[in-house]
Amino acid sequence: MIEICNLTKSYGDKLALDHVSFTVEKGEVVGFLGPNGAGKSTAMNIITGYISATDGYVKIDGDDILEKPYDVKRKIGYLPELPPLYSNMLVKEYLDFVYDLKQIKTDNKEKHIQSVMDKVKITDVQNRRIANLSKGYKQRVGLAQALLGDPQVLILDEPTVGLDPQQIIEIRDVIKQLGEKHTVILSSHILTEISAVCERVIIINKGKIVAQDSTKNLEQSMSEEIQIEIKVAANAQTALDTLSSVENIESIETVSSDSDTESEFLLKVKPEFEADVTKNISVSLAQNQTPILKLDKKMATLEDAFLKLVNVENQDETDATDETNATQKDDNKEDSDNESNI
Amino acid sequence: MKAIFKRELNAYFNSMLGYIFLALFLVISAVLFFTYNILNGEMNMNMFFQSILTFSLFVIPIITMRLFAEERHQKTDQLLLTSPVSVTSIVLGKFFAAMGVISIALLITAIFPFVESFYGKLSIAEIISAYIGFLFFAGSIVSIGCFMSSLTDSQIIAAITTYGVILVMLFLGFMVGNTITNDIAVKILDYLIPLNKFSDFAYGILNIEPIVYYLSVMAVLLFATVSKIESRRWR
Repeated sequence: MIEICNLTKSYGDKLALDHVSFTVEKGEVVGFLGPNGAGKSTAMNIITGYISATDGYVKIDGDDILEKPYDVKRKIGYLPELPPLYSNMLVKEYLDFVYDLKQIKTDNKEKHIQSVMDKVKITDVQNRRIANLSKGYKQRVGLAQALLGDPQVLILDEPTVGLDPQQIIEIRDVIKQLGEKHTVILSSHILTEISAVCERVIIINKGKIVAQDSTKNLEQSMSEEIQIEIKVAANAQTALDTLSSVENIESIETVSSDSDTESEFLLKVKPEFEADVTKNISVSLAQNQTPILKLDKKMATLEDAFLKLVNVENQDETDATDETNATQKDDNKEDSDNESNI
Repeated sequence: MKAIFKRELNAYFNSMLGYIFLALFLVISAVLFFTYNILNGEMNMNMFFQSILTFSLFVIPIITMRLFAEERHQKTDQLLLTSPVSVTSIVLGKFFAAMGVISIALLITAIFPFVESFYGKLSIAEIISAYIGFLFFAGSIVSIGCFMSSLTDSQIIAAITTYGVILVMLFLGFMVGNTITNDIAVKILDYLIPLNKFSDFAYGILNIEPIVYYLSVMAVLLFATVSKIESRRWR
């Protein structure tokens, strides 16, 4: 449905997108994940035809956006980072305008607009001026605008930014529903959102794709090592002696050993030994009459995957620039800026 | 184009801008009409038209400054440029909306000749031709404003640069024939100053030359606006 090949965009010397390629199948919900300034919005702006790429192409349904701009734009609903709202208009008036602007053809204009307003729950504010709406409602009007005409492809740039938790859940449900009929690309730097809504994730950092896989696989690939947190009612030395007698533990890290009666450890274990190790730990601790206060398995989340991938990238870059020379100090500064953004 | 034209025209009257423009334009033209025609007991509206022409130079930027700068500032251009419409029709829709506001103002000033017609014989052809000429002239100024507005995302800068261009035009206009006497320079400058092409209309002469002149000024500037907006996508 969406085919992106070697997409490159440079602003002067700065490469905002660096040979990005991916495809999205019909009916897929894909998450676009990356730290601030990674190039998510740039990519979306190119896909929707707002700006042009320096190199590479975007094809929607087999048509290049530069060759058949009107056909392609008709198939896309776009919610930019900042919803493109005219603050002086009424909500209904605005949707009317967008309907005409996009030259949408349905049997019944009123009915169509009404159904979209119902979908994102803005019917009760339809006669209010957009300037007076709260951020959450503005976001929904922006989403309504993208949904008008029932486009096959939806491009949503951080659709839940600035919403309250209740609204976030509602909008996510709307997006999930939309995913049943539409092809959706959704960008976010909120990881839970992506894991909640998307089947597939594309992680992008500094204009490059660093990983793309299904949400599940990505989380699994991270769990090469399982971490077990354990807290026992004994001093650190005694507990450590007992724990190190258990086989197949990769490493033991003492988390806290301040008090004489309590200590806490972090154990790293290969997934295949996990069940055995847990069993053996409790048995040997019990034999030594050491009560277990807490035993917890930590699963790697998408968050860990993301941080790991992005940090590795940033590390490489910093190393490279360090080696070259001092004239590229600016670059380094940017790197550290990016890091602090994550 | 129709959707954009409709929205733009509404936008003028959803905010104060349209009303401010109308109020300014109508108050000043009423004052001018009163001083030139009523106080002097003069039937000929030539002087009146020449003066509101000069005056309009200072009010037209009020309605053109927002055209593209506001869209860019509010990021609503993202909606327009990702919709299945051409940049040309966006620019034309906005241009005609600004012209629409000016037409409304002109329509109201039609009261003046109407009032006059009770007190003497009026040359209707002359007045109609003056109105047509005024619209052509206003079109050229609106297209300057359009272009200036497409260069920036600040309405204030758009207004100031438009005023700048207009002032330079006015000064050059004063200098032509006085300070500047070189034949070729005078001829060239004559073409660069839209103000000078109006006199034919005011005398009731619908000459083809000034019409072509005004149309080409509009075409060039609106084309420049379209190119400017298109080119922004490539940077």
